[in-house]
Amino acid sequence: MSELIGETESLCPECLKVIPAKKIAENDNVYLEKTCPEHGSYKVLIWRGVADYKNLSSYAPVPSKPGKVAVKKEDIVCPLDCGLCEEHRQHTCLVVLEVTNDCNLKCPICFASANERYHFNPTMDEIRKMYQTAIDHVDDPICVQLSGGEPTIRDDLPEIVRMGKEMGISFIEVNTNGYRLANDIEYLRKLKEAGVDSLYFSFDGLTDDVYMKTCGRNMLDFKLKAIENCREVDMGVTLVTIVSPDINQDQIGDLIKFAKKNIPTVKGIHFQPLSYFGRFPIIPKDENRTVLPDLLKEIERQTKGELTVDNFIPTSCTNVHCDVKSMSVLMEDGSLFPLTHRAMGPPKDTCCIATKTRQEISDLWRYIDEGMDGQEGGEGTWADFIQRARTNYLTISSMPFQDVWNVETERLKGCCIHTVTPDGRLIPFCLFNINSVHGKTLYRHEILEKYATKG
Amino acid sequence: MEAKFSANAKDVMGKRGLKEADIADVVASAESSNRKLSKNGTNLAKKRIGEVTMYAVYDNNGEVQSAYSHRMVLGEPVKTTDEPDISEWTCVHCNEKAIISSANMSYLGVTRTGPALVCPKCGDVWIEEYLATMTIAAAEGLFEKKKA
Repeated sequence: MSELIGETESLCPECLKVIPAKKIAENDNVYLEKTCPEHGSYKVLIWRGVADYKNLSSYAPVPSKPGKVAVKKEDIVCPLDCGLCEEHRQHTCLVVLEVTNDCNLKCPICFASANERYHFNPTMDEIRKMYQTAIDHVDDPICVQLSGGEPTIRDDLPEIVRMGKEMGISFIEVNTNGYRLANDIEYLRKLKEAGVDSLYFSFDGLTDDVYMKTCGRNMLDFKLKAIENCREVDMGVTLVTIVSPDINQDQIGDLIKFAKKNIPTVKGIHFQPLSYFGRFPIIPKDENRTVLPDLLKEIERQTKGELTVDNFIPTSCTNVHCDVKSMSVLMEDGSLFPLTHRAMGPPKDTCCIATKTRQEISDLWRYIDEGMDGQEGGEGTWADFIQRARTNYLTISSMPFQDVWNVETERLKGCCIHTVTPDGRLIPFCLFNINSVHGKTLYRHEILEKYATKG
Repeated sequence: MEAKFSANAKDVMGKRGLKEADIADVVASAESSNRKLSKNGTNLAKKRIGEVTMYAVYDNNGEVQSAYSHRMVLGEPVKTTDEPDISEWTCVHCNEKAIISSANMSYLGVTRTGPALVCPKCGDVWIEEYLATMTIAAAEGLFEKKKA
């Protein structure tokens, strides 16, 4: 028994041609089915739970065009003419800016295929231009993630951060493997002083066998040392954890426990189900995929119900099938008290969510600070609860990226996380990275190679 | 008594998203039931309308000076062993001075206490403006904000 529940477009994994795709409900799963006239048919699992898949559409954001787009022409073919264009349906809430494609590791799994083929190390002037592209296309407050490659291999990263802040970027986080930060606390201190607001820190598990699979070497000691150093210099950290049934799916509960123990240095965990783009070890079958509902069920099971599936809601910023988020307060007894629940229903106002998302974190705490002005606390009071929430909270979120097998143009059009390119464009992160089974990308290598340096 | 609204009240209510009809309802209900607090010619009345408890601060001519609201549900007053602080407010129904005490307040499954005005005789509970617009608003905002 199968039912057609939606139609969109996708890409051929062999030739990257844009081809029609159907969403089919079957045995309570949702599949994306597509056929390339030349390379045949593909069917890939995208969701478990048909009712859940449909219900989430009540969280859909009101479509909203970016104020200014870089690509203006007739007869646009999505997603081949990206940059963004006027067909795009969401503003940018996070700008990813790559400052290098070199890395101090060479992991078997890497979305950026770092340390391959060419070296991309933009000059300060080129980085200034990329910041400027963000400023020209995104409304305040602007949030930037400096990424790569491994940004911390650049000795001038503190200057890059300082330049961004001086140009008016509100929030800067650094995406890092933490290796240098474990070994060089003075460098970490310099980043903090330059204005880095937080780290987006890959942390795949609590045993070395996990890192053997994700990084090709033992990394746990470095990871733990990096967190210790962050505590020392008061740098907030979001743990970013790859999730794969073949690697670490059984460690989800322990990772949440670990995060709780390291609050407030650790602000959150972002679970990143393995996407098959860049460097990855296998051609995926459905059993190699963790779709969002799988992840949430594992969180519920492995935390023994401390967090449930219903505590996770779409952010209503990007497409409703792209992400989820929960926020909890760590209570006096060490338990998590979730503040998010699907029973609260979708947000009343899903308009301008991207602006709100950019505002959210800084606003919330300022608001609470003002609200607490001169208030006396005491155990069991609301004032005390708010004080706890201010410092003892944990955000758990997830956004499985799309790869060439499961990509939908519909989701790309609603994307709010965009890579800024040296040629002045903003491109949805997944789309920027997607490659064919032969390693050909639509954007990443095609663009960055033009700006590559020799050596 | 027909509620009237001072310029200040209209301004504050606009900012807090309160409707004149609702606040007029709060005043009318309090006047007919005599359930209100009073001090030096100022009255404080409240009424749960839908998911919100609304408050009106008004004079004896029915002119509203200020209005505010909270979504938390007020529970029982919490007994303390300390000698209670007497407030300047009188519970008009019981003709008793209200005390400054604390009460349970629940929101989306969390119950905590917060300072409140309590009539020692009938046990009715009121939240003062500073609390409703500061701590309670921040707590509610913490939940609400996270929905977006």
